[in-house]
Amino acid sequence: MKLLSTEQLSRFFASLEKEWEVRLPIRLSDGTRALGSLADGPPALFGGALPAKPTAAFFPQDDLVFTATGRDIQPPVAPLRPLFVVGFTAQDLASLRFIDRFFAAAPKDDLYFRRRKGALIVGVSGRCGPGGSLLPISGGECDVELVREETGWIIVAYSEAGRAVTSGLSEVDSAGSLELLRKESELLQNDTQLLLRRGAELLRTDRVPDSFWKEIGDRCIACTGCNLVCPTCTCFGVKDWRSAALVERSRMWDSCQLEGFMREAGGHNPLGSEALRTRRRIHHKLAADQERWGEISCFLCGRCDAVCPTGIGIVAVVREMVTRFSP
Amino acid sequence: MKRTLTVCPYCGTGCMFYLVSDQGRLVGVEPSTTHPVSRGGLCVKGWNAHAFVHHPDRLTTPLIQRNGELQSATWDEALATVVTGLRDIRNRYGADALMFASSAKATNEENYLLMKLARAVFGTNNIDHCARLCHSSTVVGLAETLGSGAMTNTIDCIDQTDLIFVIGSNTTEQHPLIGTRMLNAARRGAKLIVADNRRIRLARHADLHLRHRNGSDVALLNAMMQVIIVEGLADRTFIETRTENYAALAASVADWTPERAAAVTGLTTVEIVTAARLFAAARSAMLVYAMGITQHSHGVDNVRCCANLALLTGNVGRPGAGVNPLRGQNNVQGGCDMGALPEYYSGYQKVSNPAVREKFAHSWVVAELPANPGLPLTHAMDAAASGRLHGMFIMGENPILSDPDQAHARRALESLDFLVVQDIFLTETARLAHVVLPAACYAEKDGTFTNTERRVQRGRKAIEPPGEARADWQILCALAEVAGYGEMRYAGPEEIMAEIAGLTPSYGGIAYDRLDYQGLHWPCPDHGHPGTPVLHLDHFTRGLGHFSPVIYRPPAELPDAEYPFVLTTGRTSFHWHTGTMTRRTHLLDREERTPFVEVNPDDAVRFGLREHETVQVTSRRGSIQLTARISDIVVPGVLFIPFHFAEGAANALTNNVLDPESAIPEFKVCAVSIRRAS
Repeated sequence: MKLLSTEQLSRFFASLEKEWEVRLPIRLSDGTRALGSLADGPPALFGGALPAKPTAAFFPQDDLVFTATGRDIQPPVAPLRPLFVVGFTAQDLASLRFIDRFFAAAPKDDLYFRRRKGALIVGVSGRCGPGGSLLPISGGECDVELVREETGWIIVAYSEAGRAVTSGLSEVDSAGSLELLRKESELLQNDTQLLLRRGAELLRTDRVPDSFWKEIGDRCIACTGCNLVCPTCTCFGVKDWRSAALVERSRMWDSCQLEGFMREAGGHNPLGSEALRTRRRIHHKLAADQERWGEISCFLCGRCDAVCPTGIGIVAVVREMVTRFSP
Repeated sequence: MKRTLTVCPYCGTGCMFYLVSDQGRLVGVEPSTTHPVSRGGLCVKGWNAHAFVHHPDRLTTPLIQRNGELQSATWDEALATVVTGLRDIRNRYGADALMFASSAKATNEENYLLMKLARAVFGTNNIDHCARLCHSSTVVGLAETLGSGAMTNTIDCIDQTDLIFVIGSNTTEQHPLIGTRMLNAARRGAKLIVADNRRIRLARHADLHLRHRNGSDVALLNAMMQVIIVEGLADRTFIETRTENYAALAASVADWTPERAAAVTGLTTVEIVTAARLFAAARSAMLVYAMGITQHSHGVDNVRCCANLALLTGNVGRPGAGVNPLRGQNNVQGGCDMGALPEYYSGYQKVSNPAVREKFAHSWVVAELPANPGLPLTHAMDAAASGRLHGMFIMGENPILSDPDQAHARRALESLDFLVVQDIFLTETARLAHVVLPAACYAEKDGTFTNTERRVQRGRKAIEPPGEARADWQILCALAEVAGYGEMRYAGPEEIMAEIAGLTPSYGGIAYDRLDYQGLHWPCPDHGHPGTPVLHLDHFTRGLGHFSPVIYRPPAELPDAEYPFVLTTGRTSFHWHTGTMTRRTHLLDREERTPFVEVNPDDAVRFGLREHETVQVTSRRGSIQLTARISDIVVPGVLFIPFHFAEGAANALTNNVLDPESAIPEFKVCAVSIRRAS
């Protein structure tokens, strides 16, 4: 068992910076937590999920696809070092697994795997949630997991790459505490997950009337925040910028809450009302993805509920839906 | 990856976010989770605020017009041409033949510097900015009634209030993160009254939606006050202890019975009485307004009525209440505060006051400063069109699209002997310039912005400007230097703010090291002062609150047989004003790509118009083609057109008639006709 204090952990991350591009939760000047490098602010591993999705390390908000000068098309410059990304909660890791599969499905998304391939994923769990609460232990969906116990971080390597990168850390004898935390983690009740399943069932059996979606849609100002912070939202738009010298193509996070998202060239729009767009946001995660990928694609990270200025994130909407329409 | 905390460049709400950059290139936006205004959220424009910055259309070198076209030039050439051009006009026609237009998108420091340049270097008070077009009527109306032309309360007050009366503000679209506070307040049980004849989003959540006729606000508000007085619902104690001139107000509204107001407004008497009773019964009521109140030929009167109603019910000078004009641009409050106004120096110190002039002249090391108030922007355009004004320096404004009566605005600018435009893109206005100076955008410079609730906050530089573009403050300092004025040398914006604080009592305690991370509400007179979130607590800025009776006047141009529709103009969620930035932001431009006009379904049937078809809308001043959007958002007889689009410019139609006191144009009402485009 390897156990590090927060200071030792920072030194460990610093020692990796020659070979890896290390990104980890840091605290910015005004207290906001973000995924950054050690130079940008003090580590902020405590506090649970980061406000922005850590999967943005591989699928950023704005990303160059290519530049073209005449007939010469140039892909973006490859990253100098592989990414070492710390800060995935168990829910984030489930989300990462989900979008890895999505981007890998034919046609494979080269741009995503340009950064994702060879990256080392580090989960964060244990007693480092908001107010010292227990974050569930992932159980192996990452290369390395940092499990917070009372006095330090237990380093658990799951993959070959994870073992290689942590091999230099010395062992201490405290395996017992990890097992206790694992047991405690397994006992964590997740009522919200149950709520989500009940919501999914209501949608699959068509028990939610259109009037409900109109009500929710009335409260949506189309800020698009819910989509932009969602670790399983993968929709993007593409734009070309032309100047005399070159064409630059890039892609950016898109949002199904925008009217233009599905508008056809002739003006018809299959998602032509706020009600339909709001329904789609929830239906896609709970029902459509279940049919396409075999699982609900909301892993309850909580980000859309935190970012929505009017309180219609997925959990809030599903809670209202289940309260009102459950048989 | 680098993150830079800064203020959103769009509306006056003053949300803060981090710009995410990678090797000098912006790659996204992350909200601040600790900021008291945005609280971890943003609107769609904020989420996309990085996306126009690297656009290939950005201006990267100065341009000088040669042989009828704008050609690249060096900074030395451009600065010398500007100073010589402005000086020649001053020498030939006098300093007041020059006009300086400042910018509500520029920082406080930059607005201060342009007003210093205009007054100290070129010797004219002809300086103004787009506040003339949005809240000049607020500055006049609230200064007279309350003593301070700004939002009396804070955005947080929405969380505490019992009732919100929104009149002439489409808040969820134009100040989205304030609008969402209102939606949340309504859900927790606060009453919401919306007075706006468009069925805006807020109206869907309102306890009462008043769809009164455009321009009939005075009748509505006077009648509400009549009901409150007749039914004994006025706050007698407040009136007696905190106000003056009540008798005159009571007399002026006495004959504004609900019946009379119903005939003028098109509302029912029940609606008017209900609104009055709801407003008066609330333990605390916030009155919130915007362009629907101010942009009228009787804009100041509208503002007076808003203040009168709040005074009558004792809803000023305490939390959860107040008269709350929502300022449009991210720094339009600051532009006014900094004295980018023809009659004021910074902090609303009058240019006509000799002691004030002496103070500024001493600090700026000039022998004297001009004493007569200068021209408001709208009068300056008239003066240019009629050959009385010869040179104009425009920093970050686009009057070709934003001013009323586009043909008039174009004629005015084309009549000038010399036009300089300093901007980030080659706007419709910049195309007419003799010299164009390339400026840094918000992401490329430091400085402060003052939001609608008087909160002064720090914007920070995330990346370098493109090419040779420079921050506005650097350009202004360089111009002063070329003009031989040695008193505009600063190490940076922080030093400029120190000078502002020294000369401006309400900003006396503003200093960069005090602004992290929540900013400070002015008035903040000294370095120990915590700022003033709520104004007029113990006494009004002017002493007593002053009731200012108002006589109803209808809009200047009403529908007739030839032009049977009322046209009202405004904005949409997805674009900002003349679209300089948002139309170069892919997702925002995709959302609203083309100019459109909202037509009520009944009118569509009457005039044989179909959804999406191209229609021609015509007024006495111009004619434009755009797409019909058939919708019951508008009432029959009213058309709505947003003013973002150069190819279907709403302001080709609007009426350049001005409020006599504030010189604000009547953007909200003019008469038009509509037909299918042939």
